Amino acid sequence: MRADTVNGQLDPLILATVAQEPAHGYAIVQRLKQRSGGAFELAEGTVYPALHRLERDGLLASSWSVESGRRRRVYRLTRAGRSTLRERRRDWTHFAKAVEAVLG
Amino acid sequence: MTWLQLLADELGARGVTGRERRRIVFELQDHIACEPGCEERLGDPRELAASFADELASAGARRCAFEVFGALAFAALALAVSQLATGWTGGYPGFNHGHSLALFVPAALGMFVASQAALVAGALAALRALRRRRASTLPAAEIALIRRRAWVGLLGGVATMVGLELYVVDFSSVMPAWWLALVGGLAAAAGATLLVAASRLVRAGAIVTRTPGSAGHVFDDLPAMRWRWLRGGPWRLGAGASLSVALAMTLFEWHAEHSLSEGVQRGVFEGLAAAAGFALLGRSIGVARKPVDARRGSPAEE
Repeated sequence: MRADTVNGQLDPLILATVAQEPAHGYAIVQRLKQRSGGAFELAEGTVYPALHRLERDGLLASSWSVESGRRRRVYRLTRAGRSTLRERRRDWTHFAKAVEAVLG
Repeated sequence: MTWLQLLADELGARGVTGRERRRIVFELQDHIACEPGCEERLGDPRELAASFADELASAGARRCAFEVFGALAFAALALAVSQLATGWTGGYPGFNHGHSLALFVPAALGMFVASQAALVAGALAALRALRRRRASTLPAAEIALIRRRAWVGLLGGVATMVGLELYVVDFSSVMPAWWLALVGGLAAAAGATLLVAASRLVRAGAIVTRTPGSAGHVFDDLPAMRWRWLRGGPWRLGAGASLSVALAMTLFEWHAEHSLSEGVQRGVFEGLAAAAGFALLGRSIGVARKPVDARRGSPAEE
């Protein structure tokens, strides 16, 4: 899938990935790859600006944690993030149904 | 120069500095440590730094707009409580009972004129931020517009709180001590909140973004006002808004004071103040611009 198509949907993809359980940047990128079966052609770095922006918008929160002796920034979904994710899921379902109806 | 050093330099050049830059570099360093040699998949550090700047500036402008609106709401509460509390003391003592006209005039201008500019600019900043809350990046011109609206709102709010403090000083010899403490304390607290919002706005403004695009128009923020006549020229919106304010204040004062002539005086004063505000601040808050017809050309860049 083209990078610009993915970038347009990056926010809900990240929110859905973090909704499962809190994760650091690298783990989020890996989960996105695994869950999509490697379908997204995404410059991995683009996930990080989105994470910082979503945090500023109050949809994600982050804190330092130590994992296997390594200090890492771990992101988790906020209440506002959960509600936005629900909204984006609903929008996507409507959109996909409409496109499918037209394409046949 | 390593990929990380290049990223750090580019972030600095875009105004992403200090703790924010350290954290970004630390996170990317951790990513590379998880999978050595993955720098190519992370992308070009220049483009990545530009993405950080564009997205952080967009989210920062939105957040500051909401923070300024919140601080202005507190200032509005302080102003409303001061007016209610004045009623509880037996009513407004009259300007000739104060210490000096030199205190009363700037106090009245701050409380009744600057407060309106603050309300309009702060509300427009928050409205645009709310309307564009889903956009990952906003055009640089739009970010600049949101920041200008937030600044005008903030300065109007500060002027209102300074006016309220001058009002307290002016009537310090005729009003009870509890009123002076309540109104003076609330104005000081609201003023401090506005200053905190100002410092955050200054910090958010340091990030350099170059995303092309238009700042949009006030009619995009207020779709309910898309009347053809209003869109014909910027002065029409100013005239319409000033007349509406004049009419509303005439009716309000007429009802409050049971005097049509006092109502008309107040209405004319408020209408003229609104027109002056539109002329002085209209361009900076993006309301005094003629919308461009999409069929004839692209919207003007700010």
